[in-house]
Amino acid sequence: MTLRNAIPVGLAFVLFLVAWQAVIQVGGFPPFILPPPAAVAERFVEAWRDGLMTPHAVATLREIVAGFVVGAALAVAAGYALARSRVVERILSPYLVAAQATPILALAPLLALWFPEGLTSKVVICALIVFFPIAVATMVGVRSVDAGLLELGRSLRATRRQVFVTLEIPAALPSILGGMRVGVTLAVVGAIVAEWAGAERGLGVLINLARGSLFDTPLLFATLLTIALIGVGLYVVVVLVERRLVGTR
Amino acid sequence: MIRHSRIVALVIVTVLLATACGQGTSPSPSAGRTKLTVGLGFIPSVQFAPFYLADRNGYYRDAGLDVTFQNKIDPDLIPLVGQGAIQVGLADGTSVIPAVSQGIPIRYVATVYATYPSIVFAKASSGITGPADLKGKRIGIPGRFGSSWIMLQALLGSADLSVDDVDIAEYPDFGQGAAVAQGAVDAATGFANNEPVQLELEGEDVVVLHVDDVVALPGPGLIVGTATADAHPDAVKAFVAQTLRAMREIAANPDAGLDAAIAAVPELGEDREKQRAILRATIEVWRSDLTDREGLGAIDRDGWSDSIEFLSRLGLVARPVTVEDLISDQFLPVD
Repeated sequence: MTLRNAIPVGLAFVLFLVAWQAVIQVGGFPPFILPPPAAVAERFVEAWRDGLMTPHAVATLREIVAGFVVGAALAVAAGYALARSRVVERILSPYLVAAQATPILALAPLLALWFPEGLTSKVVICALIVFFPIAVATMVGVRSVDAGLLELGRSLRATRRQVFVTLEIPAALPSILGGMRVGVTLAVVGAIVAEWAGAERGLGVLINLARGSLFDTPLLFATLLTIALIGVGLYVVVVLVERRLVGTR
Repeated sequence: MIRHSRIVALVIVTVLLATACGQGTSPSPSAGRTKLTVGLGFIPSVQFAPFYLADRNGYYRDAGLDVTFQNKIDPDLIPLVGQGAIQVGLADGTSVIPAVSQGIPIRYVATVYATYPSIVFAKASSGITGPADLKGKRIGIPGRFGSSWIMLQALLGSADLSVDDVDIAEYPDFGQGAAVAQGAVDAATGFANNEPVQLELEGEDVVVLHVDDVVALPGPGLIVGTATADAHPDAVKAFVAQTLRAMREIAANPDAGLDAAIAAVPELGEDREKQRAILRATIEVWRSDLTDREGLGAIDRDGWSDSIEFLSRLGLVARPVTVEDLISDQFLPVD
């Protein structure tokens, strides 16, 4: 990011903080309802410095990464099958849409019951929530491959593998990575929901502690800030991978 | 120019919304009566029968109050009472201590549950008879926070155990009662007037472990915001008095409370016997040695003092607080 680009981003952030403070001043919100930005920043630094935040953030990050990798891998495979087989599409589509329409909040406690131990339920919930956007993006991407190119490949007697590696994947990659941009932010939501369904550690657990045991609203906001930063960080990682693989779009 | 006008309009709308949302709605006279919004527990229940009875029989109205009820959990209710958006709440004493230590301006003004209602229960066939028997057992709990988590730590601590000595199974959908019934866990946290009662109605012998023998944690009671207490002491006093009056009447005649609860929440009438059993169990936990001496609503100062110390050991008290910071018994009837 150049300095020229950074200035409006910085200004927008300052404006956001000013608006936040103004809402507190005008609305007369006490800190336990809406803490001022300075109090949240102070609690954020304190929570990281005294080691409160670290184990929870590490636990959540582990769940997000594991869930995203599993979910994305399955989604790409499923998306390819959906794109290349009308039969598969007809059979799977209703279930995919139904699964997407079912609130993950309602499913999470059930999944936590079925997979009670350790990381499994969190990974399953994250994988479920990232699956649909990446599968659909993959399907759309694979179907967008130029029919003329596919015809050319066949006329040159290209093998199935050659068509897949040299035509389909490069053509579908921008779409797949677009789906992953959406998926990785949803994985953050999935991890928090999974932790609310039962966990010893994680930022979802810290939210419950801050809200339900400590009544520490600045800590609640500091935790939300950490979650947001993780989401933004992972999104940036996907964008960087995307730029490396398919260039700037 | 148009773009600038839109930005200005957006700012104005935001400020107006903030103003509208930010103001705590102070009790306002309604046809000569003081309007009070009262926050009860998570869902409408027969456990709130005194409030329903006092409302149905016109006790609040005759005392100059116009009362409406809302249902909320402690983490939502306590800040709203502190803000003044809700004037009176029914909240757990163990929530009041950390909340006040965080600067939320509330006071606990009357005890409703004089015996701490959060308990650990198990089937009698589990062999569990005391806290020491919980070692190595699988225990269901809604989550690692709130009153049940505090109570469990106190109970385990009395047997020199910690939560690391048991296998915790979380049921955020409050399904831990069913988990005990199905044998998915050995024991679970619950409320003395709820899950064990339901299990017994299903014909199961149940053992209940109370925390009161270990530390007298303050149970749910009436809380008010300090601004409400200062501005409308007579309304608070009247609300407390009429609620305690209804509690006494229900203690003497549970069916009066059951009828009021069913009138307020008709769904409760689907299983009248079960609701009657829950109400009877609720009446039991309104009482303690203290309330037998001083009457319903009495506040156990020593218990509060011990609880501050206990919650401080658990790291739940951000800034030191005294009993005087937490409770106010000036609103209790003097008789």
